[in-house]
Amino acid sequence: MSANFWTSSHYKHLLDQEDVDMVNPLDKEKGITLEDFKLIKMHMSNYILKLAQQVKVRQRVVATAVAYMRRVYTRKSMAEYDPRLVAPTCLYLASKAEESTVQARLLVFYIKKLYADDKYRYEIKDILEMEMKILEALNYYLVVYHPYRSLSPFLQDAGLNDLNMTQLTWGLVNDTYKMDLILVHPPHLIALACIYIASVLREKDTTVWFEELRVDMNVVKNISMEILDFYESNRMFTDERINAALQKLSLRP
Amino acid sequence: MGDGGAGTGSNRSSNKPEWLQQYDLIGKIGEGTYGLVFLARIKSNRSKSIAIKKFKQSKDGDGVSPTAIREIMLLREITHENVVKLVNVHINHADMSLYLAFDYAEHDLYEIIRHHRDKVNQAINQYTVKSLLWQLLNGLNYLHSNWIIHRDLKPSNILVMGEGEEHGVVKIADFGLARIYQAPLKPLSENGVVVTIWYRAPELLLGAKHYTSAVDMWAVGCIFAELLTLKPLFQGAEVKATPNPFQLDQLDKIFKVLGHPTLEKWPSLAHLPHWQQDSQHIQGHKYDNTNLYSVVHLSPKSPAYDLLSKMLEYDPRKRITAAQALEHEYFKIEPQPGRNALIPCQPGETFVNYPTRPVDTTTDFEGTTNMQPPQPVSSGAAVSGGMPGHVSNRSVPRPMNVVNMQRIPHQAMQAYNLTSQAVMPGGMNPGGIPMQRGVPQQQQLRRKDQMGMSGYPQQKSRRI
Repeated sequence: MSANFWTSSHYKHLLDQEDVDMVNPLDKEKGITLEDFKLIKMHMSNYILKLAQQVKVRQRVVATAVAYMRRVYTRKSMAEYDPRLVAPTCLYLASKAEESTVQARLLVFYIKKLYADDKYRYEIKDILEMEMKILEALNYYLVVYHPYRSLSPFLQDAGLNDLNMTQLTWGLVNDTYKMDLILVHPPHLIALACIYIASVLREKDTTVWFEELRVDMNVVKNISMEILDFYESNRMFTDERINAALQKLSLRP
Repeated sequence: MGDGGAGTGSNRSSNKPEWLQQYDLIGKIGEGTYGLVFLARIKSNRSKSIAIKKFKQSKDGDGVSPTAIREIMLLREITHENVVKLVNVHINHADMSLYLAFDYAEHDLYEIIRHHRDKVNQAINQYTVKSLLWQLLNGLNYLHSNWIIHRDLKPSNILVMGEGEEHGVVKIADFGLARIYQAPLKPLSENGVVVTIWYRAPELLLGAKHYTSAVDMWAVGCIFAELLTLKPLFQGAEVKATPNPFQLDQLDKIFKVLGHPTLEKWPSLAHLPHWQQDSQHIQGHKYDNTNLYSVVHLSPKSPAYDLLSKMLEYDPRKRITAAQALEHEYFKIEPQPGRNALIPCQPGETFVNYPTRPVDTTTDFEGTTNMQPPQPVSSGAAVSGGMPGHVSNRSVPRPMNVVNMQRIPHQAMQAYNLTSQAVMPGGMNPGGIPMQRGVPQQQQLRRKDQMGMSGYPQQKSRRI
């Protein structure tokens, strides 16, 4: 099924890490650092997930929404596109693209339920306006491929398709959306990195299997390192730091 | 897209957004529940026509219609000579409307078939039928190999380019219901979508839960037969109810022509819900033998018949695929299919001059009717006043009927005027647009005169 990934807009528009890590000049003016930028995007990925659990949509919708949100911020500033509006709107748009439309009024209801803070409060009208701006910002490219799809064929092929490994790798893939990996790497390589980490954790010998795959193991290992680094630094991502970063956005320069 | 218009949307609430200025609006060429379709010409390249499909903001307060989203999503990923080309997307933030601009196609199979049936009274020549079919299959093979199922193939969604560089080239259009089938697809009915049932595959009529690309091949078979006979092959009467009523009459029409399906020929039949439940005793209906060849007037030994019967194979697993069909003997024997389906290569063949789409030059982009008569404009001249507002008559290389101001307010009169080609929303489908085939009043009138003419029923309208 990978045949069409290689001709897709997703593949053609994969970015270099440097391009993803560019903080928009307007945000820089407000004192947003690269660290802040990453923190806010991570926080918004979590926000999307929380909202999605309320409105009950599949993980794939969440993944597509997060990919949209991350793509938006490779082109637009957080100063102009408030993440607290962009995040729910990306979920709204992704729900349509992935055939499980969620009503805007339902999202608005759960936003209020999740956050008492006025800064998160947006109305239906705001979401509908932002939907169009996001469509533009994405340049109307809406198809996103995810690692989930290749996960189970890979596990099966490697003879690792027991419940434990399936759950572990699935969870790892979920966590990769807290990073920008989906903008930089082909999804099947992200899936392989998750399998690699899981097999090391569970002490399964997959060396031969990986060798036979004929993929660039350096890339897979690099992705794995990034994921492990993320888990390492995850402890330091406190609510205080996230709020401080968001606070900067609200400041008038 | 990418450069030019897309993304440069205006945040100002002006009536003339910047992107609109690159086009000259010619007029309205269709409408549906989603919005309107316009014909426009690019100012910088006046030989190039564009069909602009305008999606209104949905009234239920739920933003951009999911149909538009999915259409954009798919068309942004695909490029093929036999698939309609999305050239631009525009957003008007002021009124929250979305515009899709497509390369304009002058004809579609619905109109071509209708022209032969009602106007020239003569079958479509073999070369044209074969070329149309081959190109349709070629486009479909591309879609299927990219894991896209169209799900709503019917004559009005198969466009054919008018005069110009791509004259007679087939373009598959209307991807509002198309899907990439990475994951199993829900039945259309679950999304509350109504599509015409005449081209619907038997497994779907019997309640199959998931779509496969074979459903498109069934529709191609129905279209092939219709190109040969100028009549829809299976004209079932639709049961109107929600959700997803059992379409007994449609199945009966199929059984009558193809013979009753059997478990022997179609083993998975036993698992299809409507067959299993058999609440309307379809298992008991008995039509033994196929008489498809006599319905389509083909010799049972002809390659054309062989191909058709393989497309209309009951068992979706045994049904011929687009790739296999392209290799069929039918396409290897004379006349061989060509790129310009409308003009036969052989000298001496008569060719038909198909009518151009009627254009309502009195409607502007806002969909409001301009009661002021259109300015007579010399051919190709720029229009004064820009748009929206004044519109020009079309300048086309051959004579055409424009629905003019005198007629528009008197649509009832027009409907009786059988010689007019410009029966307004009667059948045009630029950019593959799902549309209502006529306003209710016209439908009634047209049905009447059609009874006198050919007994051909009104094409089903469709709601999105």
